[in-house]
Amino acid sequence: MAPRRPYWRGYLKLSLVTCPVAMSPATSESGKVRFHTLNKATGNRVVSQYVDAVTGKAVKDENEAKGYERGENDFVMLTDDELESVALETVRTIDIETFVPRESIEWVYLETPHYLMPNDKIGNEAFAVIREAMKAEKVLGISRVVIGRRERAVVLEPRGEGIVVWTLRFGDEVRPEKEYFQDIETKSDPKTVAAIKRMIKPRLEKWSPSMVTDPIQESLLTLIASKKKALKPANKAKGKKDASDQPSNVINIMDALKKSVQADLKGRKKAG
Amino acid sequence: MAAHRAQWKGHIKIGEISCGVGLYTAASTSDRITFHTINKATGNRVRREFVDSETEETVDRDEQIKGFDIGDGQYIMIDPEEVTAVIPDSDKMLEIEAFLSCSDVDDIYFDKPYYLLPTDDVSVDAFSGLRDALKEANVTAIARTVLFRRMRTVLIRAHGRGLIATTLNFDYEIRSSEEAFKEMPEIKVEGEMLDLAKHIIGTKKGEFDPAKFDDRYETALAELVKAKAEGKTLPKPKPVKVSKPNDLLKALRESAGVGEAKAKKAANANARKPRNTSGRKSTTRTAHKKAS
Repeated sequence: MAPRRPYWRGYLKLSLVTCPVAMSPATSESGKVRFHTLNKATGNRVVSQYVDAVTGKAVKDENEAKGYERGENDFVMLTDDELESVALETVRTIDIETFVPRESIEWVYLETPHYLMPNDKIGNEAFAVIREAMKAEKVLGISRVVIGRRERAVVLEPRGEGIVVWTLRFGDEVRPEKEYFQDIETKSDPKTVAAIKRMIKPRLEKWSPSMVTDPIQESLLTLIASKKKALKPANKAKGKKDASDQPSNVINIMDALKKSVQADLKGRKKAG
Repeated sequence: MAAHRAQWKGHIKIGEISCGVGLYTAASTSDRITFHTINKATGNRVRREFVDSETEETVDRDEQIKGFDIGDGQYIMIDPEEVTAVIPDSDKMLEIEAFLSCSDVDDIYFDKPYYLLPTDDVSVDAFSGLRDALKEANVTAIARTVLFRRMRTVLIRAHGRGLIATTLNFDYEIRSSEEAFKEMPEIKVEGEMLDLAKHIIGTKKGEFDPAKFDDRYETALAELVKAKAEGKTLPKPKPVKVSKPNDLLKALRESAGVGEAKAKKAANANARKPRNTSGRKSTTRTAHKKAS
């Protein structure tokens, strides 16, 4: 696969050490079976379009601007360039302010993982120094960065040759656990605990991505493949390029669909 | 608990032991909307409308159908009932398939957290037993069930008096870190550079409470908007100085305040720092051991 286009570029900073970095999400939508919305009547794609809220007329792309609401229907318009002037270093710099022991950040706060790496070979060494020192000290870095027009708390975790950057959920987004857990019995029956612990050992496994397969996506692909097969006779007169008479055809289409949809995954399995 | 509504109710099962549980959203995402999209020509707000890409006519929701792109502009239409048909009936059972050591969990797969609570009094014994067994064995449990119209894998772990279930992303939704970082050069870091960086980290060790974090963007943006409205020229962002490989050691020494007491002024003093810092290094190491 072609290298991903980074979706954030900026700098990683530890005290007086600064290096250029790029960050991209660790999650990807590309492997998912995606449906488009069609117009039932015409079979054409349905697209979303901006229309003027007052005149109801379509708005051309070049006339779309971001407006900050000052009063009712009174907007100050800002271009992307102007937004760059916002007086926050965290727009372009991840300055690691604090280091905390590993395991000290509650899992519940972890929101989205990103991969951070040097964006220019000039920074390779500085990046490696920061990463290796974090590994040696067994710590996570804490910083802030502006993503999607919000300043996010982030956790930096060295991993392999790179660094994983987690955005953290905001305090008011995590529901207070006390409200949920406070009435639960704290004591447990030692016999029950022992019985369950006996069942844990034989079922102890190593983590594997096979634990997170998606059987329903497989079924959807089968459904699509069989519908595609049903379409075939109509188009068949002109084309004989595929051996579509064979009974295994549904499976072949299925394979092709899977290949296109899971190209991402395949590349990864090879690597791992 | 009446104040909160369960997203899902069912049972956790391990061997012959089972208990009724409810799944409650532990985290919501709030979008802070600071901007509206505006029609530059009129200054009015815009709204979205769904139109046919060919005829450009508005298509109402009940006129829309899902389609799968098979290339060449061809689509296979799929009825919602057909999609529903491939979703297995939910048996409302989180059957534990495996346990993972807590240190073996790959957190990159984490999706959303849910609080798990026993649903009734008869479930309390099994619930607290499972919680304490997970805690004592320092493991998490892996279970699958139909959740939100998908067969989802959840990771269940003990947390305080309760359990937290985290849904995991599917294999194809995650790019592996090995793949992402495979182009990166392997650089060995050792000796003084590593020691200095470790020392800097030592001076910045502390605590962090995510709950107290404050998003400063909106305030900064309001100032920018004010400046623009007043017709002031907007400040250009300051260029960032990158540490070049040749200056890296110097930057590290200055950051660590090595050699001189007036460490903070070191940034603008270009005087060479003494090379021999071994005495200092050993004291730092001891300090680290205490801290960790």
